[in-house]
Amino acid sequence: MLDTFITSFKLKNTYRVNSVIYSIKQLPIIRKILKDSLYKNKALKIIGNIISILMEIGSIFLGKLLYIFFCITSMLPVFKLESANTFIHIFLFLTIIGGIMNTYMFNPTKDKYYAMIIMNMDAKKYTISNYIYAMIKTFIGFMPFTIIFGLLSKIPLYICIIMPIFVVMVKMIFSAYVLIDYKKTKIAKNENKLEKFTWIVIFILLLLAYGLPYIGIVINQTFFLICFIISLILGILSIKIINSFDKYKQIYKQILTNENVYATENAKSNQTIKENASKQIELDKSFTSNKHGFAYFHELFVKRHSKILTKAVKKQSMVIIGIFAILTTIVLKNKDIAKRVNDLLLIYLPYFVFVMYMLNRGTTVTQAMFMNCDHSMLTYRIYRTPKVILGVFKERLKTLILINLIPAILIGAGLTLLLYISGGTVESLNYIILFVSIIAMSIFFSVHYLVMYYLLQPYNVNTEMKSSTYSVVQGLTYFVCYFFIGEKLPTFYFGLATIIFSIVYSLVSLILVYKKAPKTFKLRV
Amino acid sequence: MYNEIDVKGEKNMKLVIKHLKKNFEKKEVLKDINFEFEKGKIYGLLGRNGAGKTTLFNCLNEDLDLDGGEFYINDESDRNIKPEDIGYVLSTPNVPEFLTGREFLKFFIEINEKRIKNKKTTDEYFDFVQIEKEDRDKLMKDYSHGMKNKMQMLVNIIASPDILLLDEPLTSLDVVAQEEMKQLFKDIKKDHIIIFSTHIMELALDLCDEIVILNKGVLTEIENDKEDTQSFKNKIIEALKEE
Repeated sequence: MLDTFITSFKLKNTYRVNSVIYSIKQLPIIRKILKDSLYKNKALKIIGNIISILMEIGSIFLGKLLYIFFCITSMLPVFKLESANTFIHIFLFLTIIGGIMNTYMFNPTKDKYYAMIIMNMDAKKYTISNYIYAMIKTFIGFMPFTIIFGLLSKIPLYICIIMPIFVVMVKMIFSAYVLIDYKKTKIAKNENKLEKFTWIVIFILLLLAYGLPYIGIVINQTFFLICFIISLILGILSIKIINSFDKYKQIYKQILTNENVYATENAKSNQTIKENASKQIELDKSFTSNKHGFAYFHELFVKRHSKILTKAVKKQSMVIIGIFAILTTIVLKNKDIAKRVNDLLLIYLPYFVFVMYMLNRGTTVTQAMFMNCDHSMLTYRIYRTPKVILGVFKERLKTLILINLIPAILIGAGLTLLLYISGGTVESLNYIILFVSIIAMSIFFSVHYLVMYYLLQPYNVNTEMKSSTYSVVQGLTYFVCYFFIGEKLPTFYFGLATIIFSIVYSLVSLILVYKKAPKTFKLRV
Repeated sequence: MYNEIDVKGEKNMKLVIKHLKKNFEKKEVLKDINFEFEKGKIYGLLGRNGAGKTTLFNCLNEDLDLDGGEFYINDESDRNIKPEDIGYVLSTPNVPEFLTGREFLKFFIEINEKRIKNKKTTDEYFDFVQIEKEDRDKLMKDYSHGMKNKMQMLVNIIASPDILLLDEPLTSLDVVAQEEMKQLFKDIKKDHIIIFSTHIMELALDLCDEIVILNKGVLTEIENDKEDTQSFKNKIIEALKEE
């Protein structure tokens, strides 16, 4: 058993180290310097190993720290109840949810896939040894934080210490339950694809965890101790069930399908994207177009993707109208708030850079363009002639700008209206600047996303992301927009600067597209 | 070889490749490719796994930048290859799934309007690749692999590009579809330079007029001196094995 564990651990470590090296290699400048042979490089292997160990330690502690802090400790002041009991209350119910959603055993991960499906390791030995390891990790990972945050909330030390044991027991009970269920139904449960009923149970538990304290009800320590003793008894029974179960191979054959494994690995994996992408196509082919050439092609694309294009924007617009309606009512009714809103409107325009960034559909739309359209069209050389590329680009730019303009106009108009009814401004140009700058931001983001897509088209024919430059640019965009959140600048000057910047940026980037896109817009090899 | 005159008295078009090189980091995948492909013939490009067949196609399709050398079309005179001169059919068919077969075809006909010589109706094109009437107005999302393959082939030949690169185009088709496709290639070959990459020797021998081998980064033509099939096969295998 120990041998199996060591082998599987080494295997996991090896690919983790390799993926660390791979990520290092994806960075734009470093890629040029480093060669393929670097997977053999000793120094890099050592760095990779260190990072891998840090990741392992991080996986033990970090999640639990964040979990206890954000889900429990930071929530305590909300309820204004006795903190020890509230802590235990939330902890108890969240632990049960964790038991259902986070079994470790039924999570289809890549390491299990490699070990049991590809390397054909003994499923039972692999599962049990790794399960023991996972449970030890859970126990050790929780201990420091239940003690620290528990004591801070004035929970007796012995309860702080049994809390991690409770977590482990609950997890084992649920794993055993799933195994028993499998014996009956022959259906293996994938913890990432829970049934509707399970989701309802989870929702109810969440309500119990936070809803009860909200209305002033929490469990006491005796109740927790009773739960603990029950969990201890059932947990020990579960160990027997887990240990004697012998159909792990069959279970994992069901759970560890390609699709599942890659879906959990990251949401961006090509399988998932491809599937999601094709789900976005609306089957109704009664949509037709009377246009010609590129316009025809593009119009059909837009009509058959209305779910992510027009419908999403409609939803956004409804929400925006709702928010402004509420704000307008408040401002009209309350003079104090009106004054504050008026002040904010004249200095908080930078915040809207982030809002406009978040609202912009550019990322989703360009991704759909690639997955459902260009991914296949770019394999046709004729589609890559400058005339076609630029023709389609023009149609797309029009659509993307228009789509994003709808919420932008609503926000611009809403803000201008708010400024007026909250007391107005001496400088009447402010109204125009406020409105136009919001529009300018929206156009800027639309142009930005589409231009980046045409200049850096990052995917290959298998829809794998091949350009890290693209990710870096996207990250930077986010970072810059995020940076504006806290900034307070006079709306007049900031707005003016935004308008000028947007115009210049759009012009420059459009020229760039016209010059470069016929070369850059192709499938990565 | 040069100034060859074909039956109609026109000079025969050629794809000329000179000293083409492509490396991936230190690995020289294509070392020194020199070849002339002529119109009217189907060339079977054989090579072992990883020999660089797809890399060669990607270079010719300008998906990859060259590390040396050049290639061009020699017609009346030498000229650079434009995107519309090349049709590249991948082994896995890629068609935009949000369109119906007919819409896809319509779009291609419209953007190629000026280049298509004797334009036919969409139904005539569908008949040509034998796609059933009831399938023509379905979204291609619901097409079978073979139908997608046919659509891909169809739009690639519709504008009649001078050069057709076919990367393992038949491997995933059923036997009937394979035969249909083979017949299609034979029907259109007189107007094109067709380069057909495959692992399957029988297919190459059956369909292709010339056998070209890519080994060790170099292209060589295997002469068939009217030998019997078996000894020709052996000759090819020997050439592929050469270290």
